[in-house]
Amino acid sequence: MHHRAWHWIAMGAVLAALAVISLGTGVIHIPAGEVVSALQGSGDAATVSIIRNLRLPRIVLAALVGAGLGMSGSALQGTLRNGLAEPYLLGVSGGAAVGAVIAFAFNATNDGIIALAAFAGAGVAVLLALLVARAAGRAGRGDPRTLLMAGVVIGAFANAVIMIALANAPPNTIRGALWWMMGSVADSSWAALPWIAGFIALGAGLLIYWAREIDLLALGDEPAAALGVNVESSARRIYLLAALLAASTVAAAGLIGFVGLIVPHIVRAAGIRNHRPLIVGAGLVGAALVISADLAARTIRPPGELPLGAVTAVLGVPFFLAQLRKSA
Amino acid sequence: MLHKRFVALLLLAATTSCARDATQGAPEADDFGDPIIVRSAPRRIVSLNPATTDLIFALGAGDRLVGRTHWDVYPEAAKAVRDLGSGIRPNVEAVLGVRPDLVILYASKDNRAAASELRTAGVNTLSLKIDHIADFYYASRTIGRLLGDSARGAIVADSVERTLKRVRATTQSLDKPTVFWHIWDAPLITIGRGSYMNELIEIAGGRNIYGDVDQTSPAVSIEDVLKRNPRYIITGPEGSLKIMKDPRWSEAPAVRDRRILVVDTAIVGRPSVRLGEAAESIARLLHPKELN
Repeated sequence: MHHRAWHWIAMGAVLAALAVISLGTGVIHIPAGEVVSALQGSGDAATVSIIRNLRLPRIVLAALVGAGLGMSGSALQGTLRNGLAEPYLLGVSGGAAVGAVIAFAFNATNDGIIALAAFAGAGVAVLLALLVARAAGRAGRGDPRTLLMAGVVIGAFANAVIMIALANAPPNTIRGALWWMMGSVADSSWAALPWIAGFIALGAGLLIYWAREIDLLALGDEPAAALGVNVESSARRIYLLAALLAASTVAAAGLIGFVGLIVPHIVRAAGIRNHRPLIVGAGLVGAALVISADLAARTIRPPGELPLGAVTAVLGVPFFLAQLRKSA
Repeated sequence: MLHKRFVALLLLAATTSCARDATQGAPEADDFGDPIIVRSAPRRIVSLNPATTDLIFALGAGDRLVGRTHWDVYPEAAKAVRDLGSGIRPNVEAVLGVRPDLVILYASKDNRAAASELRTAGVNTLSLKIDHIADFYYASRTIGRLLGDSARGAIVADSVERTLKRVRATTQSLDKPTVFWHIWDAPLITIGRGSYMNELIEIAGGRNIYGDVDQTSPAVSIEDVLKRNPRYIITGPEGSLKIMKDPRWSEAPAVRDRRILVVDTAIVGRPSVRLGEAAESIARLLHPKELN
């Protein structure tokens, strides 16, 4: 128990430190003292605005998105008993993106509508994947590997739908949609944050509440059933919840892959196996990971920014391949 | 006809000092390196670039246009011309379907294959990379020549050039306020040195804060714009509404002090016949006291 406490302190400290570093770093140099006073609302109005309206909402959104993806990935990896599962690879993010891009194509600018469209898309993608896995599987909820494969194919299908939706869009819309599909927290604003914070908090709460069931599902279908879990309905419920958690991140920040893949592994490497602490830890580590990826995205090549999803993919793909080798 | 050819030759001789001309003796080539072929005046023209569509109307050949891109909506009469879709990677079959005898393309890498395919099909092509103001002068003279009306091509180029010179002369001695041109909000896109819009700002008596960036339309971060602290923000009507209601822009001095200049995107949107008008309108916005 003693060493566990240290893990939590370390995760919390790293997250806090990264948030502070990120707040103090940008193309405009703002000394630490001014950052602190700007946070309190005093000092030069422009500096206050940069800290409070540009950097802070961005960091908060990065943290929320990272936490959502990390938790979603943990739940999916546990439920599917597959260390390679994550919302991006399962087609969940792709489905959400289809919903959002269709909303864009109809000129929707309201955050709420785009979020709802993303939820609908993610929901359809999940149902499709479950149907395919069930049709292919022998019994019950189907083979988790089939589900993973179905997810990958549905992701490819989602991509095709997006390309078709964008084929005849005006150049600036295409550039905007592509940018969004590559993931970014650059357009974060205080007005939109309560929505995503609410969705992530709700999803996180329910996942933590059902964490014991994930523990049992992770043992395998038969042991779980023997221990009194209604395997099919329980797995479906958690899968859907993880999908909605991922969809809310997609609605807020576009497609950010591989965070949901890497984060649970990092937390498990710290010796945390039970899903309740694992999900909480994945939230903290995910937040820290996306905050640092975004810090890189906005400082590596000024005056422009790198797409956040590309930065996480550059980090994530080698990790994915290493995991694949380990599991093979 | 013969007479026109003669005038064309004279004008050609007069314009060979142009820096863009190929080495002497070799046939003149377009921006894809394809030889420029001047045959009898084309009767069925497809223009796959909004700037050349506008130009062809100015050259009095609008009635010979049989195809345009989806985005060519100026002048108003262009809307009546058949919409052939995108001007980048165009649908070659659709282009051939309107039986053109001249197709004018924007010379970007994406269009290289289309130009070759059209030439293979026996259709004359002219591929021009019109990014800068000088490119427009060249386009006007060259297209005029192909249309068998070099005189008019030269007149259009000259009149734009004269207007721009006049605007430059009036702004020369004035202060040069810094300008951020807001093209698009997500991602935030502006203009760099590679764009005619950068030249328009300079001629109008301003200084583009991203004039040091080589690209045509670089994506930049808001924080970097705040750092460069432009005196003015130029944008279209939509862009100005977006900036005004976005809290991230609220403390930018240009926004706080209402120095957002709204330009008519119909005038400044293409490097074409309205370049002079565009520079003039921007100059008036940048220097209201001195020029109005």
